[in-house]
Amino acid sequence: MMDALPTPADVQEALVSVEHLRVEFGAGEAMVVGVDDVSFSVGPGETLCVVGESGSGKSVTSLSLMRLVEFGGGRIATGSITFKRVAGDSLDIAKVDPEFMRSLRGAEIGMIFQEPMTSLNPVFTIERQLTDGLRAHLGLSAAAARTRALELMNNVRIPEPERRLKQYPHELSGGMRQRVVIAMAMACKPRLLIADEPTTALDVTIQAEILALIDRLKRDNGMAVLFITHDMAVVAQMADRVVVMHRGRIVEEGPVRQIFESPRADYTRMLLSAVPKLGEMRGKTAPEAMQGLSAQPRAQPASRAKKDDINDILLEVRNLTTRFPVKGGVFRRTVANVHAVEDVSFSIRVGETLALVGESGCGKSTTGRSILRLTEAHSGEVWLDGWEVLKLPPVDLRRARREMQMVFQDPFASLNPYRRLRDQVAEPLENFGLGSRSEIDERVATLFDRVELPRSFLKRFPHELSGGQRQRIAIARAIATHPKLVIADEAVSALDVSVQAQVLNLLMDLQADLGLSYLFISHDMAVVERISHKVGVMYLGRIVEFGPRAAVFEDPRHGYTKSLLSAVPIADPRKRRIHEAQGARTMASPIFPLNYQPAPSLYDEVSPGHLVLRPEAGSLWSG
Amino acid sequence: MKRLLTIKALIGFALVAMVLGVAIFAPIFIPEEAANRMHMTARLKSPSGLYWLGTDQLGRDLLFRVMRGARTSLSIAVSAVLISLLLGLPLGLIAGFYRGAIDNVLMRLVDTLLSFPVLLLALVISAMLGPSIPNAIIAIGVAFAPFLARVVRGEVLRVVQMPYVEAARAAGARDQRLIVRHILPNIMPPIIVQATISLAFAILAEAGLSFLGLGTQPPQSSWGLMIQASRDYLDVAPWTALVPGAAVALTVLGLNMSGDILRDIFDPRSK
Amino acid sequence: MTYVLNRLLSILLTLFLISVITFAVTTILPGDVATMIMGTQSNPEALAGLRKSLGLNDPLLVQYGRWIYGMATGDWGHSLVFKVAISELLIQKIKASALIVVMSMAIALACAVPLGVWAAVHRDRWQDGVASTSALVGVSLPDFFWGIMMILLFARALGWFPSSGFADPATNPGLAVWHACLPAFALGLGLMAHLTRMTRSTMTGILGQEYIRVGRAKGLSERVIVWRYALANAIGPVMTVAGLQIGYLFGSIIVVETLFNYTGMGWLTYQALLNRDIPLIQATVFVIAAVVMLTNLVVDLLYLYVDPRVRLQ
Repeated sequence: MMDALPTPADVQEALVSVEHLRVEFGAGEAMVVGVDDVSFSVGPGETLCVVGESGSGKSVTSLSLMRLVEFGGGRIATGSITFKRVAGDSLDIAKVDPEFMRSLRGAEIGMIFQEPMTSLNPVFTIERQLTDGLRAHLGLSAAAARTRALELMNNVRIPEPERRLKQYPHELSGGMRQRVVIAMAMACKPRLLIADEPTTALDVTIQAEILALIDRLKRDNGMAVLFITHDMAVVAQMADRVVVMHRGRIVEEGPVRQIFESPRADYTRMLLSAVPKLGEMRGKTAPEAMQGLSAQPRAQPASRAKKDDINDILLEVRNLTTRFPVKGGVFRRTVANVHAVEDVSFSIRVGETLALVGESGCGKSTTGRSILRLTEAHSGEVWLDGWEVLKLPPVDLRRARREMQMVFQDPFASLNPYRRLRDQVAEPLENFGLGSRSEIDERVATLFDRVELPRSFLKRFPHELSGGQRQRIAIARAIATHPKLVIADEAVSALDVSVQAQVLNLLMDLQADLGLSYLFISHDMAVVERISHKVGVMYLGRIVEFGPRAAVFEDPRHGYTKSLLSAVPIADPRKRRIHEAQGARTMASPIFPLNYQPAPSLYDEVSPGHLVLRPEAGSLWSG
Repeated sequence: MKRLLTIKALIGFALVAMVLGVAIFAPIFIPEEAANRMHMTARLKSPSGLYWLGTDQLGRDLLFRVMRGARTSLSIAVSAVLISLLLGLPLGLIAGFYRGAIDNVLMRLVDTLLSFPVLLLALVISAMLGPSIPNAIIAIGVAFAPFLARVVRGEVLRVVQMPYVEAARAAGARDQRLIVRHILPNIMPPIIVQATISLAFAILAEAGLSFLGLGTQPPQSSWGLMIQASRDYLDVAPWTALVPGAAVALTVLGLNMSGDILRDIFDPRSK
Repeated sequence: MTYVLNRLLSILLTLFLISVITFAVTTILPGDVATMIMGTQSNPEALAGLRKSLGLNDPLLVQYGRWIYGMATGDWGHSLVFKVAISELLIQKIKASALIVVMSMAIALACAVPLGVWAAVHRDRWQDGVASTSALVGVSLPDFFWGIMMILLFARALGWFPSSGFADPATNPGLAVWHACLPAFALGLGLMAHLTRMTRSTMTGILGQEYIRVGRAKGLSERVIVWRYALANAIGPVMTVAGLQIGYLFGSIIVVETLFNYTGMGWLTYQALLNRDIPLIQATVFVIAAVVMLTNLVVDLLYLYVDPRVRLQ
């Protein structure tokens, strides 16, 4: 265990001091060690970030502080957790009896979790859930509790609090639910707030608001915050000190600047090198592979994309519109439409990557699916290599699908659990009759080599592979027929950061080797900045800004693009910019009545190839 | 694999294996006339060294009768479940895969059929067709089919949304290939669990039908028929009801246990 | 308002379909009413005459129409076996069956829910083992077997309850309940076992949810977590299953009522089936299916009350 540099919080004044914590699950031969020899401390008013990938033990650590591990089958084997109470006395949380611990939970230590959608009891009103902790710990009457609940709602900046109190969780948006969860945790003014990946499941603009909220609450209340995350950029924005965990152990700890500027552990350096930093690509024209840990600068894939040659356009989308009916009534008639994709147009050249970026519900995934006709579009044209895809009859559509393939987001659900990997990669080849049995087998083996998977995996089943490995199989399947276009629908979003970097590099290599074009759909601006030639920003079904990556990222013009870029956390502690906006915003809705006539999308060209949506086109963006 | 070795699994599978064994082999070793031979002087005798499980009101050895009855009851149940699968599987597949109007119509029909209690449907069909073993099989099979169709449809809906099905479609797979290679293998495990449970219910249903005289007809014997025959002698010879009752209970218990274990095995696999 | 109209329309449609299916099953299958009345050996001329007077030679559609019209105007025909108006029979017998169905459901729910919760809370420990195994055994025995056990034990051996017979609840509620006890218990035991298993598995699923963890993180006691937070979410699914089981119950009463000589709808249906009393079969089957459908409707509406997520659809 390395010696930590002197920390700003004096250890004697530490609010929580964890020493040599070891947590085990199960017993006997089936025993699993969750964390081992974990020591750190958090001072009052300080934010300590615990960062690591999946399986690092960061969640187990936080659950141990709350003695919630026991409910999940774990137990604290050795170690101590010294907690300084409001009254001044200290006690060892690891050894207190469960009933006493219960009195601490929610009162002196609060915790918020990752999934706002499931953190609230669906059958109780907001008021009930806000007040039951208050009444249990502080013995408040119903009226007093209600007053306090309103106070809390205002504190977390939820508009119309009286109305919201009477509502049920499903009537609130994800961001608002997370605010309620934070309010619940803050109800009894705890000294320590443990936040376990609180913004991972939220859109980036909402994330920025929640991070700012937590920061303000911390400063207003003199609270300590233990913030758990896998996102190094969030760490850079929030942390005073950082603890890096890997496989249940602490790998490094120190002040945030030191971790980022002079990391000592190999794992930390690997983690930092794998994180795309927003702004890194400034001044560069072409996508660039992630550097990784090697001292040699990585050879950049030599792109085969020719410049500005109109004949090289591979995919052209014109006025694509896709709508989904909303059904109601006993005869299930259509009562309204969701305008998922509205008048979207763009083109992709051979060997080029176009990224469609936006938050959840903006229509980027539906655009990709409409191009492949996995979802049927309402109107518009899609030209691929001379074919008008949307109008093809089924026979020709099958033929066209040889040229365009998709890689999906969920590596677990995109492979059939009951088929061998080799059969799944061979499937497109078999469907189109591209060769004899032995030719197909040979091609599949070559594809495995190409995506850097050992040939011994050919006979395996999906459940034997990790997420990153499964995604490689999905990529191998997608390129099996030598398609010209690959649509990557959030293909790296579900992967750990280190694995994500590898898969991104693989994609870029394949693009250079095979002359592939990508439609890269993602919500992650930093990743998009790395991999794309051109970018389209989407909001409520329309492209609000479009252009070369450098132009859109360095000179954003549309209000939404600007707010998106300003909300993305930058993985550099010197560039902190958490600030709270006006509070919880209600999202505009893409659902319109049947007779609604949307205006066409019209653009201003602010520089060559850089287009910005005109306001009268009805983008519904405000602020 | 560790899950297979729990006590519940062992008992469950052992029971099923035992009943299956008796059903297959007992009629070979116990000829029909041995089971039907009436010992008029030894009627309603309680279990003893000579008659291990006692005798019934006609002096017939209960051990032989209950063991031969296994084949009857089991074969009726298995055939009925097969019929329900034959009817319900395609229905559920078509409704779930093609959706739209055909789904609406089929499900409306299925839901309405589900308003008729299963036992009632089976009884009515059996009564109208005339009670006999083949008719009992048809009656139970048809009565179980709607529920199975619903279960199949639910599973198909779940699987059809999976990205790997979409990926297969994008890779050029035709409907037939999608159904055979991708959908069927993935709905089979829950369907197998459901079939096991249905088997248990089918045995209960056959017992009920026979108990009411609308199932197996004498001189053939099934467990339900044996229970029915014992009704008048409950005071003096309760074992005449307990023996076949225990047989039904053990079989159904074994099947339910096996169904539970199968469900446990198949569920976490999706991770 | 539109929701109510929609539901009404749906009910009518289903009732119509139920009537069609009932009619189809009882007429299309072999078995002729005339032969049943007069016997197969009867004079063919007399048979033909009877068929004509019963209207059996008319096209099926006409027969169906006649039947439906009759039901709508209160004339449900005459029972061939009992020689009285079917509507009279139905009214009496429905009351009797309603009594045991309600009693058995009440007994089952009252025992199954606490048992299932208890088993879920003590999951994988001895309490769970005992509860789950008992429930498993309970589900594996046929209802009439429980009935026979009841008779042997409570009626013959202990003499606490009568083993047969029935009394009208309107005239003599106490006696009626006393007669209904054993049949209700026989029905209720299997039901209780099934509901215990369902409650246990529902609660186990709920206790693994994130909001339960959040509740604990707030420092709420385990008692509040289990009996308020978790149970409030379990009521909906358990109620739905219980509602579906009503359908199964109405099938079981045929066997159980016959066993106990308890003259309710089940007993009536069996008598009709045994004697091929087709008009009575049609009436009882239709009524039972309609009652099951309406019960499911009521359960659906109750579910709206229990689960706020479904309300604003």
